[in-house]
Amino acid sequence: MTRRSLVIVPAEAADKIRASAGAWGTLGMVRAPSDDLFVITAYQAGKSGAVLPVRTASGQERHRRVEEGAYEASWHRADAVTHWAHYSLSARPDHCMPLEQFRRLIPTAPHPHNDAVLVLTHAPGVTDNPDLDRLPEFAAWRVTREGAEPFDLAVEPRAYGLGQLVGHWPVEALSARAVLVVGVGSIGGEVASSLAGYGVGQLDLLDPDRLLWHNTVRHVLGEGDIGRFKTDALRDMLTTRWPSLDARSHVKDVVRDADHVRLLLQEVDAVVCAADGIAPRRVVSHLARRAGRDAILTSVLEDGAFGEVLRLRRAPDEGCLLCRRADLYGTGRMDPERALERGYGDGDPHRPMTAVGPDLHLMGDLAAKVTVASLLQRQGHNEQRLPGEQAIVALRPQPGFEAPFDLGRAGQVQWHPATPPRPDCITCSTP
Amino acid sequence: MKVNTAFDIYQTTVNAPPAQVAEAKARRDLFKDAFGTEGDIKLVRASGSLARGTQHDPIKDVDTILIYKPETKPEWGQPGDSAEDALDYVRDRVRGLLGTYGSYKPNQVRLARPGDHAVKCFLDDPDAESPFTVDAMPALRQPDGSLLVPEIHSHGWIRTNPGYLIDLALDAHAQGRIYAPLVRVLKRWRRRTGTHVKSLLIEVLALECLPKTGERSAALAAFFAAAAVRVNDPICDPAGLCGPIQPDLDVVALRTALEEAADIAANARQHERWDQHDVAVRLWGDIFGPDFPKPPNGGGSGGGPEGGPGGVPIDIPKRPVRDINQG
Ligand SMILES: [Zn+2]
Repeated sequence: MTRRSLVIVPAEAADKIRASAGAWGTLGMVRAPSDDLFVITAYQAGKSGAVLPVRTASGQERHRRVEEGAYEASWHRADAVTHWAHYSLSARPDHCMPLEQFRRLIPTAPHPHNDAVLVLTHAPGVTDNPDLDRLPEFAAWRVTREGAEPFDLAVEPRAYGLGQLVGHWPVEALSARAVLVVGVGSIGGEVASSLAGYGVGQLDLLDPDRLLWHNTVRHVLGEGDIGRFKTDALRDMLTTRWPSLDARSHVKDVVRDADHVRLLLQEVDAVVCAADGIAPRRVVSHLARRAGRDAILTSVLEDGAFGEVLRLRRAPDEGCLLCRRADLYGTGRMDPERALERGYGDGDPHRPMTAVGPDLHLMGDLAAKVTVASLLQRQGHNEQRLPGEQAIVALRPQPGFEAPFDLGRAGQVQWHPATPPRPDCITCSTP
Repeated sequence: MKVNTAFDIYQTTVNAPPAQVAEAKARRDLFKDAFGTEGDIKLVRASGSLARGTQHDPIKDVDTILIYKPETKPEWGQPGDSAEDALDYVRDRVRGLLGTYGSYKPNQVRLARPGDHAVKCFLDDPDAESPFTVDAMPALRQPDGSLLVPEIHSHGWIRTNPGYLIDLALDAHAQGRIYAPLVRVLKRWRRRTGTHVKSLLIEVLALECLPKTGERSAALAAFFAAAAVRVNDPICDPAGLCGPIQPDLDVVALRTALEEAADIAANARQHERWDQHDVAVRLWGDIFGPDFPKPPNGGGSGGGPEGGPGGVPIDIPKRPVRDINQG
């Protein structure tokens, strides 16, 4: 199929046509030639009514700036037969309805003479009849001396966004939930984007850093935000994308500003930590358990060979981060010293840029999924139960590592249960 | 058999028999009326599951709270012997009003024995297999609406607010009329968990995790799933006064039972959506046990001979996924 032109009908224009007592009228449009797009900007009842500007359709503000001159179209009341013809013709490219036939159906339609005119038809009858539900309420036609051919049309819905998923996804339940995201780097930025997409109502973004040039190779933020605090820029990006989201920026360091984090935890339902290094993860593990909040920790290991998502819950048989790691450290399957040394020994707290963006985003999305599943299971969604408390994902797996990092194939995911608290653990002991 | 029909039938099994509920209420009212004549009593109020509508079979006891006028009992509420004194006083008054020579109505109470918080009054022969008792607990109303009640084992008085739980339960039930009967169902289910679970713990768990409106099967399925997470955290007195309800709870055992029930319930809900009600009823029977109604053909899809009532386990039918893709 070739590129076809599209006419966009703002919700307000559609409402005015529906409500009009008359049978036809005129519409003003702007044209965006590069997108082969017409956007309706004004409405008029009949030929002599007042020309009323209509509110631009959402996402079409840029076309107000197009200085292409005004175009004119007309709208006409039609019956279901007309829209049935539109539906049939749409499936048969290069077919059109002879002009005489079209003008019999729409007597008020203008004669194109040697030109081409754009005609919109509104068939109110199709919305009342369930048998006609495939037929559109509005249709557009390009009318020439040869005849009338279907033209693509899109009506701006009154409600869209996450509300469309009500009944299929617990949008209302999640809109009442709040999540703290600690560290909004390459993984954390994706965690936040994903949580917003799942419909979490409030996001608290915490990170002390600014976005710099080297970040953009794998961050959800791009060149336009270089120099800004990551949390500020991410908040702005997400609230533009999801207008009902309450996103808050905290330019703080989770270790130095632990008191601030302790207070924040009281106000959220869960916390995700996607910060670099061991220290932030330890702080989040401790504070979250004390606050009785689920903590989801995610990172990549061995320069992006493996990804990990850990869920820490305050269950009597599930230990904190250190308890979960103690077993791995003690049996030589994981080496805390090397991580500490490489992370902090050279004065640069950040891991070198070794993993590729989409691999990090994959981990961010999985961490967001685990977080949302945890919130929903608490609200009775059994289908959101997880297979374990630790997921290891093979991203660029390399042989020779101890279990659980012994996955051999890219894309492989393995879930493991939690290990219980150590008897002497300060974090896990009852506060 | 429709799922709703099965729940209707099962409810009559779980509910205490109406005659028994009436008898329990009559005995509670006997205490209310008898103590209502006492000059130092401000109010007698009902408490316990009977007051919350969540009583389940069999009713062996009812709870009453005797709220005294504080000016008549200045020494109560102090640490030390006054807790024991208060229970002794109540025991004497029970005898005086309802004992062998009771001034209100003689020969009602055969034995009155102080416990930790209340005086246990035996209206049946104490040696009977399950004698009927009324717990009478003395209390002093505090300015914040809570009650001060004696606690013998700690040699003092503690604050409690049973009215708070009653109000929450009545409000929960009023929302969709499913709450109280389903709590009775869950109280019976707790005996199938393989671990000791206090009835009050189930009730507080239900307040938080059981949807208050909608279909009963959906509400129960959501309860099992949500409670399986909620039990990881301590379950405390909702009024915030008495702390953990069951400190010795085996969380892992209860969680495992809840998770198993949640999985079966989710399967039952799916078959209910597919209009395979007999299968759904069979699955609910796996959760609630042999007292749950059995579908006529045992719940198998074919209804063959192996699917007789109470028959051997039958393969649950599975469906192919429709290859209609979304990009
Ligand atoms: Zn620990």
